[in-house]
Amino acid sequence: MTNLEKYNKAFMEALGITEDKLAGLEYNTIPEWDSVGHMQLIAAIEDAFDIMIDTDDIIDLSSYEKGKELIAKYEVEL
Amino acid sequence: MKSLEGKTAVITGCLQGIGRAAMDMFARNGANVFACSLKRTEEFENHIEELKNECGVEIIPVYFDMMDDESIKSAVKEIQKAKIPIDALVNIAGTDKDALFQMVKMDDLRSTYQVNVFAQILFSQYIVKLMLRHGKGGSVIFTSSISGLEGRAGQLAYASSKAAIVAAAKTMAAELGTSKIRVNTIAPGFIDTEMYKDVPKETIENKIKRTALKRMGQPEEIASVLMFLASERSSHITGQVIRIDGGKGV
Repeated sequence: MTNLEKYNKAFMEALGITEDKLAGLEYNTIPEWDSVGHMQLIAAIEDAFDIMIDTDDIIDLSSYEKGKELIAKYEVEL
Repeated sequence: MKSLEGKTAVITGCLQGIGRAAMDMFARNGANVFACSLKRTEEFENHIEELKNECGVEIIPVYFDMMDDESIKSAVKEIQKAKIPIDALVNIAGTDKDALFQMVKMDDLRSTYQVNVFAQILFSQYIVKLMLRHGKGGSVIFTSSISGLEGRAGQLAYASSKAAIVAAAKTMAAELGTSKIRVNTIAPGFIDTEMYKDVPKETIENKIKRTALKRMGQPEEIASVLMFLASERSSHITGQVIRIDGGKGV
């Protein structure tokens, strides 16, 4: 599985959504991505890449695309 | 069945006093423990080995400095790497710098808040994140003090930081309830620990006189309440402050 596939899988499983909903997806724009869903998403991403995301980055992860930028800081190449 | 059988707890301040008593009691009641401490000593590590053998549980020492956020993060990474689901977080480590209001140095105030408030919130953020992963909920416990509830002359930094952690815990309780994570605070009174080793005997006797039980508490008497709050026996208790003070002021 590529890193991008892992990243997408984390979103789909944590938020319970399908792949076609990912592009352009932003925090709090769907019921599934509320504050509880956000922490489930963070846990899924951390598990997928065996990383620990800093609190500042948890706050900044405000969209599917922004998340891609942020996890690059943790030496994960998508 | 032991009340914490199969559970795993992260306990800070395990080197001595209440933290040590909590580590011992949790292990003897079946819990695996991440035993956190600032200092690494031979006595501490030997004690852990003996306790592991006696209880048949995992006790993993974790060393970090609550004055240093990076050190806290490294400790959490260490805990995360063990991949053991966390059921309870017991925040005991703290600091105390006494001075009258007009004499409080801002650096002392900041360092007290760093250890007693900021570091505990940061550490809890990370550990709760690990708790949320297994979805079974958990228990987070903070250690305040009767000083934090009542105030006390000469303890501005300590008392106000201990009051702050009560409000933080109540807020966390309100937010984490739907994730089945309970958050409570204990407020010990006069407990026979290192904290009182340099306090004059007369001062201690005066404090004891103001309690109904007319004696200092023992660390084990605090540990037993921590164990109750960490266990399923307190499954409907959250957002509370429990005084353990021998009936001070009653």
